[in-house]
Amino acid sequence: MKVPSASPPQARQPLLATLANPGATAAYVESQWDLVIAPTRNARLLGVLAHRVFAHVGRSALPARVVRHLDSALAEARFRRQKTLYLLHTITPQLTGHAGPWILLKGAAYIAQNLPLSQGRLPTDVDLMVPRTSLDGVEQALIKAGWEFEKKEEYDQNYYRAWSHELPPMVAVGQAMELDLHHTILPPVGRIKPVTPRLFADAVPVEGTPFHVLCPQDQLLHAIVHLVHDSDFVGRLRDLLDIDALFRRLPLSDSAQRQQLIERSRLHGMQQPLHMAAVMSRDWFDTPGCDELLLDLAGSGASAFYGERVIALANRVLGPANASEGSEGSRHVAARLLEARSHWLRMPPWLLAYHTASKGVRSLMQRAASREGAAAG
Amino acid sequence: MRIADLSVDALLERLSFSGLALDFGAARSRIRSSLRPLAGMLRTVYGGYPAEESTGFFDVNIELRPVPGIRRFIRPQCEVVCDGVRELEPFPLDTPLPLLEWGTNYGLATRLFCYLMLHAGVVERGGRAIVMPALPGSGKSTLTAALTLRGFRLLSDEFGVVRLEDSRLMRMLRPLALKNESIDVIRRFDASAVIGPSFPKTHKGTVAHLAPLAHHVDARHEVADPALVVFPRFDASAGVNLEPVKKARAFARLANNSFNYHALGPQSFDALGRLVEESSCWQLQYGDLEGAVAALGDLLERTPSSETLQGV
Repeated sequence: MKVPSASPPQARQPLLATLANPGATAAYVESQWDLVIAPTRNARLLGVLAHRVFAHVGRSALPARVVRHLDSALAEARFRRQKTLYLLHTITPQLTGHAGPWILLKGAAYIAQNLPLSQGRLPTDVDLMVPRTSLDGVEQALIKAGWEFEKKEEYDQNYYRAWSHELPPMVAVGQAMELDLHHTILPPVGRIKPVTPRLFADAVPVEGTPFHVLCPQDQLLHAIVHLVHDSDFVGRLRDLLDIDALFRRLPLSDSAQRQQLIERSRLHGMQQPLHMAAVMSRDWFDTPGCDELLLDLAGSGASAFYGERVIALANRVLGPANASEGSEGSRHVAARLLEARSHWLRMPPWLLAYHTASKGVRSLMQRAASREGAAAG
Repeated sequence: MRIADLSVDALLERLSFSGLALDFGAARSRIRSSLRPLAGMLRTVYGGYPAEESTGFFDVNIELRPVPGIRRFIRPQCEVVCDGVRELEPFPLDTPLPLLEWGTNYGLATRLFCYLMLHAGVVERGGRAIVMPALPGSGKSTLTAALTLRGFRLLSDEFGVVRLEDSRLMRMLRPLALKNESIDVIRRFDASAVIGPSFPKTHKGTVAHLAPLAHHVDARHEVADPALVVFPRFDASAGVNLEPVKKARAFARLANNSFNYHALGPQSFDALGRLVEESSCWQLQYGDLEGAVAALGDLLERTPSSETLQGV
């Protein structure tokens, strides 16, 4: 039974059409580019688009004004790649002596592996996963070397350490990127519980570096739960494009690869997110192999109705916002609903209630304190 | 036909529908707004700009609109939307022009990694440029404005746009933002200067905009050769004092005072290096504006162009 597709909102068509068929831009007139460049930039995909366009079309065939924006995006992407590699280079001494494997996640992994999907990409931070037993030692070594936490408040620190899969983001002077230290890929108190020892055991070394990355199925599943399970989807088209690229890399069109992927998703309890990601990737990017995967997954405990409701909301918020368009109201509503969902998924109900209540109390206390301060000053 | 030749109604029609095209030289913007007062302001400060078609591709799209909802009635505000994104805090509804200018500057500064963008005022004479980095207390805008009213042509008040492949200076012609006392200083300096309305109570004090001269606007696609880098410092008690600056130091100060030097790696290093190599570098301390303008003109005359410079 084919899962019905929901088309992405109409306004996204120029962006999607250009990504899917970059060669056609040789015939674009300036007014067509006018509909593409700004939304693509807002989706943080201009570098990826530039890479695809230049792979198919010579620069002289494109309007000079447009070329400078494509070049700008590639310059930014080069800068971020450089900064990622620099960060990894400088923290290597702090990792030495603590048990590994030290596993790069998401964007940092794609860069270290030099995957085609890393071309033109604009990462904002470096995600590194280390064994739970090494986490404290690595944290101390980094602090000694000058790294510090952005969020210093005690509540936030306790929250992260007790309930989360990662420490609060760390920054250091001279580093343009933030460092996120993980010990697993999803919050331990969340509804999906990946088999963390297998994530580590099956990790793959990156040649020429002291780092590892997740095995191909785990890398894809992580990208999937990061979007589908651990986010509110808002403005995250870039993450779905990563998933599309990773599907194609397997490749998903190969039935043996699909079987391996499904088995791995069963191991980690991620069939539902896999189902949803396959539907969305197919709808937005026509990823080959998704229909077959959905058939293979049918009866896998994936709830089509619930999934469809979430996907319908997600489709409304996934693309870049445009404050000049009129559709802000419905996007806002969908975003609030999905935000609530992501909190719900992240913590059990009792913890969610506590967290929300205490956040309210703390914010009231902060406001009272600042009123007092203003009155006294 | 120039923007000053359009009636306010005609201008408002363009702003409300297809948008108003503004070509600064190195980039161009398209502006949309339904605010009638803004149409009048734009006619004043952009009067010398050609009234161009607004079809095609634009480097940045700016919308200046009233903040919707309850803010229409209670202390009304306006906001700037840059390519569909609200980047800056709203301003009171009666202060649209400064918000438009700041929003446009923000858009230009964050989009264009295809050029090295210094934070400097730049003018030229005879195709030879003077780059004046914009450090606090420099009086850069006042000095740049004064120079443009004494025979130097404007490239930009805010952006030193350096072409990466050959370090030529490109134009990013925008109205010059004058603040507080500078407004009167420039009015006295040249009574024929076209200055837009004054906006008191902005976060930078009172702001008004000097309209670029029409023949400066006509030159917006010309490039200039680097010739002088001058670090101005306004000091009311000083007369006019020029001191040479070592090139390495000038390089460092320029790089630290740029919008995107850090992000362009070896390209910006080479481009800035070439610019500094070809320039004579100075520090200018001045309290006398007329004297400073004369001194810079004199300095430019005395400085041989880079073909004859034997390296300092």
